[in-house]
Amino acid sequence: MLKIEHVSKKFDELIALQDVTFNIRQGEFFGLLGPNGAGKSTLMNIIVGYLLPDSGIISIEGSVMKPDNPDWRRKIGYVPQEISLFLDLSAHQNLKIFGRLYGLTSRNLEEKIEGVLDLVQLSDRKKDPVKDFSGGMKRRLNLAASLLHDPDVILCDEPTVGVDPQSRNAIFDMLLKLNKSGKTIVYTTHYMEEAERMCPRLAVIDHGIIIAQGTLTELIDLINQKDTLKIRKTPFVQSKIAGLSDLGNIAELDFYYEILPSDDYRLISRLFSRLESTGIPNELIQISRPTLEDVFLKLTGRSLRD
Amino acid sequence: MKTLLRLIEKDITRFLKDKPGFVLTFVVPMVLIIIFGSIFGDNGSPRGKSSIILVDESNTLVSRLIVSRLDSSETIRPVKSYRSEETQKEVKFTETSAMKWVKEGKFAAAIVMPEDFFTDTSTAVKFKFYYDPKNEIESAMIRGDLEQNIMSQIPRLLPVLIQRNALSALGRDSVKTIIRKIGGVLDRYLDIPVDTFVNRTMNIDSSSLYSKSVGTSKDGNILSRIVKFDSKQLVGEQISNPWLTRTVGGWAVMFLLFSLTGAANSLFEERQEGTLKRLMCMPLTRTQILLGKYLYTMLLGVVQLSVLFFFSWVFFRVDIFSNFFNLFIVIICSVAAAVSFGMLITSVAKSLSQAASISTLVVLIMSAVGGSWFPTSILPDWMQVLSKATITYWSVEAFQQVLWRQSSIGPIMINIFVLLTIALLINSFALIRFKKGNIL
Repeated sequence: MLKIEHVSKKFDELIALQDVTFNIRQGEFFGLLGPNGAGKSTLMNIIVGYLLPDSGIISIEGSVMKPDNPDWRRKIGYVPQEISLFLDLSAHQNLKIFGRLYGLTSRNLEEKIEGVLDLVQLSDRKKDPVKDFSGGMKRRLNLAASLLHDPDVILCDEPTVGVDPQSRNAIFDMLLKLNKSGKTIVYTTHYMEEAERMCPRLAVIDHGIIIAQGTLTELIDLINQKDTLKIRKTPFVQSKIAGLSDLGNIAELDFYYEILPSDDYRLISRLFSRLESTGIPNELIQISRPTLEDVFLKLTGRSLRD
Repeated sequence: MKTLLRLIEKDITRFLKDKPGFVLTFVVPMVLIIIFGSIFGDNGSPRGKSSIILVDESNTLVSRLIVSRLDSSETIRPVKSYRSEETQKEVKFTETSAMKWVKEGKFAAAIVMPEDFFTDTSTAVKFKFYYDPKNEIESAMIRGDLEQNIMSQIPRLLPVLIQRNALSALGRDSVKTIIRKIGGVLDRYLDIPVDTFVNRTMNIDSSSLYSKSVGTSKDGNILSRIVKFDSKQLVGEQISNPWLTRTVGGWAVMFLLFSLTGAANSLFEERQEGTLKRLMCMPLTRTQILLGKYLYTMLLGVVQLSVLFFFSWVFFRVDIFSNFFNLFIVIICSVAAAVSFGMLITSVAKSLSQAASISTLVVLIMSAVGGSWFPTSILPDWMQVLSKATITYWSVEAFQQVLWRQSSIGPIMINIFVLLTIALLINSFALIRFKKGNIL
């Protein structure tokens, strides 16, 4: 469906993207995970034609993107990271302006506006100026403005930045609904939890390079990491931790100890028995499966939040 | 107290970082002081000379004296001839051709010393002053300068007046008798021959310059008996609201520049609010986006000027309909030039605040030297040269032509050409800047 092939981009001496290649299938919810400045937005801007790549090819269903053919953008609905709306106009006026620019005719346009307003649950506020909206409502309208022309591919560039949990969930629901209706969605984020929750398949990007891609399971398998044990820090645990060195590699973090069990303690029951023998209560112990954060840490040596 | 000082220090630090604010606080007022000071102040930079047509049809000793005086004037630049388009030779102005040139707006005024300049019995000397009060300040200043220059010659003209009064009251023979008696005294004590004195004195009269009567002066003022100005307004006598008709163009152009620069600068606002990026991610080309902004700004300018002129007609009876077609052409050309100026500012500025401060500075300078506030003829020479490089000058002149002079298309062709050329050149430059710049 959407093919990114050997795309590179430099800004002066800064390499923003280097030989980025991946395919996104029809109807897929694909994630692009990376820390801030990894090159996610640059890639989005290139896909939508806002920036030109220094090299590489981007195509949708075989149709190759060309800078002198803006009609290519009709296939794409781009949800920018920033709120890109006329704040002094109403939601309806905003959608009308953008819809007209997409070439929608008056009758069709009104139907589309009503449809997207329903989807983002803003029908009852359509006459209100956008400046009076909450952050979450603006985000939803920002999304709605990108759906008017019924695009095949929806590019969401960190659409939940600065949004409260309730609105974030609402946006997730809308995107999942769109995905179920057959839309292909490309979703960039630096929130590991969002990527894990929303994206069955994803690519991890850092310093402009795709360092890994695949399903969540494939990525976790990639690092071949065992489950870890977390023990909350208390004065009692602190007094006992030195005696647990046989469990494996122990790392002291801010609020807990993280233990990567040795081969001798791969069995959970054995692990818990050993801990019980020290008197550490079960409620302070948590088994943690490897996450995308671990994948990123393992592959880059850095945390996603760095 | 320390807290207060720290708060002040905080604001000073921020102010020093705010370059646009600095420009508006210091640079703009300083530039305006320079302009006003150069015109009205006494800073050793005299204002420019006002060019007027000077016709001497009497060619007498006294008229030549006046010509000589005006030639050396620091405020008047007398123009006595023009280059004929047919023969390509210098042709001396006549009263008729001078009136024609003033009517056409090529000169603000003409001073004519007619054939009876010195033989009109009602006064010592007589001038005809033809003027086009397209700007009251300019007319008043020219008239004032002329009178000042001419009055400076009064001491030389006083004997003429005395003689005329004597001749009128006593008659030629009696005067001659008195002079002969005075001459007798001089002959006796100073050894000057009586006949020589009488001939010399009366020879002033023998040049057929003296009148039989002094004539009547309404106010009886001695100066007005000596110098008589027959003033005649050649343009705009029938205009119902002369002041506004003359000045509305200037004010309109200034606000046009402000509003259109602001409209063009809205590209910065759209960039800041992200909508520009959204547009650029839609099936639109950058050229379309830029052209759309250009055409919108053009439309805004045309509507703004049309509303302003219509308002002037509704409330002040400024006649905009007698010459509406030409007025509309000037509106279009002025707007085209003003929009290009706005686009230029937007293309060279790096931020909205920078664009706002640059445009405020440049628009105020253009308005001051271009004729929006006062006629360019009263500016120092170097500023008059500068004024011709402004959009304001060519627009204001064109509006005066079509509103005040009710000109046909011919006389404003040069203005149209210059305004459209400015628009073309600036737009081309702005386009290049937009391609290299960071706004689009």
